[in-house]
Amino acid sequence: MYPEELSYTTEHEWVRVADDPAVIRVGITHYAQDALGDVVYVSLPEIGTEVEAGQPLGEVESTKSVSDIYAPVTGAVEARNEELDDQPDLVNSDPYGDGWMIDIRVADLDGLDETLAGLLDAAAYQAMVEKE
Amino acid sequence: MLVPISGRAAGTVAFMDESTEDGEHRRSPLHDRHLALGGRMAPFAGWEMPVDYRESGVIKEHTAVRTAVGIFDVSHLGKVRITGSGAAEYVNGALANDLAKIGPGGAQYTLCCDDATGGIVDDLIAYLYGDDEVFLVPNAANTDEIVTRLADAAPAGVQVADVHERYATIAVQGPESAELLTKLGLPSGHPYMSFLETAWRGTTLVVCRTGYTGEHGYEVVLEAGDATALWDALLDAGSEFGALPCGLGARDTLRTEAGYPLHGQDISLAVTPVQARLAWAVGWKKPSFWGRDVLVAEREQGARRRLWGIEAIDRGIPRPHMSVSDFSDRWVGEVTSGTFSPTRQVGIGFALLDQPLGEGDEVRVDVRGRSRAMRVVKPPFVRVTTK
Repeated sequence: MYPEELSYTTEHEWVRVADDPAVIRVGITHYAQDALGDVVYVSLPEIGTEVEAGQPLGEVESTKSVSDIYAPVTGAVEARNEELDDQPDLVNSDPYGDGWMIDIRVADLDGLDETLAGLLDAAAYQAMVEKE
Repeated sequence: MLVPISGRAAGTVAFMDESTEDGEHRRSPLHDRHLALGGRMAPFAGWEMPVDYRESGVIKEHTAVRTAVGIFDVSHLGKVRITGSGAAEYVNGALANDLAKIGPGGAQYTLCCDDATGGIVDDLIAYLYGDDEVFLVPNAANTDEIVTRLADAAPAGVQVADVHERYATIAVQGPESAELLTKLGLPSGHPYMSFLETAWRGTTLVVCRTGYTGEHGYEVVLEAGDATALWDALLDAGSEFGALPCGLGARDTLRTEAGYPLHGQDISLAVTPVQARLAWAVGWKKPSFWGRDVLVAEREQGARRRLWGIEAIDRGIPRPHMSVSDFSDRWVGEVTSGTFSPTRQVGIGFALLDQPLGEGDEVRVDVRGRSRAMRVVKPPFVRVTTK
């Protein structure tokens, strides 16, 4: 449920370094999609939008609740998952694959390793959600 | 348990308890069944009930009710039995609708209003057994208040008994609901808003042609100890009809689409039946009922605000307490409840709007800082097929 190769935020986003090492991909975790229930809207910023680590960059809304999506790093939006406009339920069915949300081109590439080291690994994230 | 996704969540569960107290919650006699079925449990009105089931989710459960049949545990709903000589006459002098419009075996949507303000204490269903017996189903959160008010005012010889946990209630709703009941040997052909008692496997079921989904359906009241047998039988026999167990999440999207207000959100002690456009549920010709004087006066003057449906013209889902303004940015009211309509695929909800706003007008709803255009409509949002 929490792939080993990903990093996780305490706000329930996952982070994967893309083929281009200056780009990270962001989505929400299995735990998050399960707690939200059926996702009906995902609001994501346009390509080129500057996002700041720790600040909301979009929203994910289900039949029963709405939650912010937080930027794990500072950078610019490189790509957004257009599929989610028509099929928001991909967030539920495939949160780590087709339900990805945005790619961010990292502003401070030198500091990326440190940023990622500050996130949770799969075991630590799982331990966190098991306590909730 | 359903938790906000983060400490800084932009919003939380729309129809759930707004209180966050962690007190003891009452459990339905079907609690273990919900856990076994993967029910996501959450506190609701002092009860711990399933929001949805992991294998299906709100939208699949909603769709099952619109296209096949859904089975809901609504045992949290209150049950109050009023008996004794003149019980029906007493209830009719207190609650707003006119019991004289129905006969024994009939059910009626009615309101309990505050005598001084006319505000809605609760909306409830009254089941008329006869002159000397009425069974009431109030909302879970208001049951104690209803029992208190009715017991305090009861004349000698009329007893008001809170039988909340003695009985369970299972709702069977959807176009295939009659077939499903027939398969279990239960009566299903009686008219909308009527009820029958029937023997089933050594117990007595009250099969009511009522519901909260806008579909043809039933609510079955039975002794709490017999609830699991009926629940299991319904799910077992229901598989060939595409039946799904459904939680309170689907109940909320279904009732919103059907245009049924929810007490505690759309209607409350601060809202009168005239404002809520529920004047049809008031027996205006009756000589007395609680709140009559203020309500008659308000009806003659015209309400200052009214409860309307709103539907998003583009994106955006209305949620409780969002403010509504007109196109000159003047505040005109507040959203009382809202959700995403699985049937219509748009945001829908209710809003209390100042007069003279009404059907066909366009308003702006402040959706977390974004202004979203929405249309004022007269609910329901879907075709209601209860009859």
